[in-house]
Amino acid sequence: MADSKTKVNIKTSAPKSSSAQRASNGASSSTAMRLLNVEAMYGSFRAVNDVTLDIEAKSVTAFIGPSGCGKTTLLRTLNRMHETLPGATVKGSIQVGGTDLYDPSVDPVRVRRSIGMVFQKPNPFPAMSIAQNVSSGLRLSGTKSKRDVAEIVEESLRKAALWDEVKDKLNEPGVSLSGGQQQRLCIARTIAVEPEIVLMDEPCSALDPLATLKIEELIGELKTRFTIVIVTHNMQQAARVSDTTAFFNMGADRGGYLVETGPTNKIFTNPSNKLTEDYIAGRFG
Amino acid sequence: MTVAPGTQTEQRFALTDSDRRRMRTNRIMLRIIQVATFVAVLPVFLILIAILAKGLGTLDLAFLVNNPLDEQVGIANAIKGSLAMTGIALLISAPIGIAAAIFLNEYASTAVQRIGDTLVDILLGVPSIVAGLFIFLLVVPALGYNGYAGALALSVLMTPVVIRTTQEVLRLVPAGLREASLALGVPMWRTTIFVTCRTALSGILTGLVLALSRGIGETAPLLLTAQGSNDSVIDLGAPLSSMTIVIYNNTISSDPTKFAQAWTCALVLFAIALTLNVLIRFKTINSRVL
Repeated sequence: MADSKTKVNIKTSAPKSSSAQRASNGASSSTAMRLLNVEAMYGSFRAVNDVTLDIEAKSVTAFIGPSGCGKTTLLRTLNRMHETLPGATVKGSIQVGGTDLYDPSVDPVRVRRSIGMVFQKPNPFPAMSIAQNVSSGLRLSGTKSKRDVAEIVEESLRKAALWDEVKDKLNEPGVSLSGGQQQRLCIARTIAVEPEIVLMDEPCSALDPLATLKIEELIGELKTRFTIVIVTHNMQQAARVSDTTAFFNMGADRGGYLVETGPTNKIFTNPSNKLTEDYIAGRFG
Repeated sequence: MTVAPGTQTEQRFALTDSDRRRMRTNRIMLRIIQVATFVAVLPVFLILIAILAKGLGTLDLAFLVNNPLDEQVGIANAIKGSLAMTGIALLISAPIGIAAAIFLNEYASTAVQRIGDTLVDILLGVPSIVAGLFIFLLVVPALGYNGYAGALALSVLMTPVVIRTTQEVLRLVPAGLREASLALGVPMWRTTIFVTCRTALSGILTGLVLALSRGIGETAPLLLTAQGSNDSVIDLGAPLSSMTIVIYNNTISSDPTKFAQAWTCALVLFAIALTLNVLIRFKTINSRVL
């Protein structure tokens, strides 16, 4: 009974109720997400092996590791985007507020509504204006919002540090912006639906250094409101933006596994695993 | 290969016989493909000149608004018949074709998609007279020649065109857009309609116009199903005329005035087809989406 009630809660969860919900579930109040023995498969290929990991709420967790170590794949399991690829499956459990995201009763659409995602390549909707892009999640998901859409658009663009640059051209196409602006537009679009957790898949890899800096500053501001998980190839970026770092490596079977996780400071200065130390020092990867 | 001593730098790039042979072959081949291109596009101008020269003389407003049984000659019923049958065919082909393309591209498994693609290929290759014969056997013995049968025959030919062009533009929609939408918590069906199809909209419309221009030029399937008529009343339940049928019937006629009318009708048909094609170009160029 209590269990089913929790499921109802997660399906309709809003940021306001989430902390109370977590507390009521008795989990550590700072844990937003708990991964237990997560495995991700592409057909018969195991891309991610047995990852167990806690993700802290209202902080930035970085997934780092060499190419092919499964960090992006793991990230995509966190909001059930992995399974949208043909043949892709997930084993293990991912718990948010005590509910397993992969429980058969959970609708992936609802999961994605509370766990948003920013992609590697900025992908604003080409047929939509800047304002329409921001409100697209609300409009397309058919969510009836009591608040004024224009208000949400402005607020989201302000939170994404883009408002001042676009406030005079909200009706111009989203794709008319520069790459860095497009990525901030995508962030605005993601936070407009008020997710609890924002997943970022190498959000700066297609951007120049200045645009990257802006996004990194933005991540620092966003973590006061959202739990952020970021995949990055750039170790300096992980060191700059994250509070916790999880280091992944590719095993002998070409599947990725978690080597170690800990406070970013510790991982970068005093890692417990020799592999981590070698990777941080640039000796491989 | 024959390097003379002393003036090595000058001699190094001197032309040999084999170089000259290669350059001559190059010139000849280039000229051949130029001529081939010219020959390929020549009919455009010849057709245009021929139908303008032969058709323009008898083209006037009366020809467009009169019916065959009026005092003056005219093809009003044929124009209306063509538009009605192609229009109804499009009303059948557009929803079925777009839906099938969405299913094959967005939802079907790879195996089903492969089977579907092959079937669409086969359908695209069905000779139009065979499609006409099929509808003829299906409809005419029971209901007689009629406009609906003509529309049905055209839709058999137009549907695969709609499917294929829609599939091609859907393929151009970046996967990242679908993912972005799904990651916002938008259900798959809404993503398909409001993101994927919306992004591909102008391409889909182009496909519809393409199907329309395919349908409006068909003759054989209409001869077998709509038969043709001189009646000025457009009744889809009865034998119906089309521009192509008029061209066919008047061309095989021994009456020189009728023969001339065939050319005028051809001119009108060509103008409509050309307009549709220009429309496609205009639409494609002005689209910022796809």
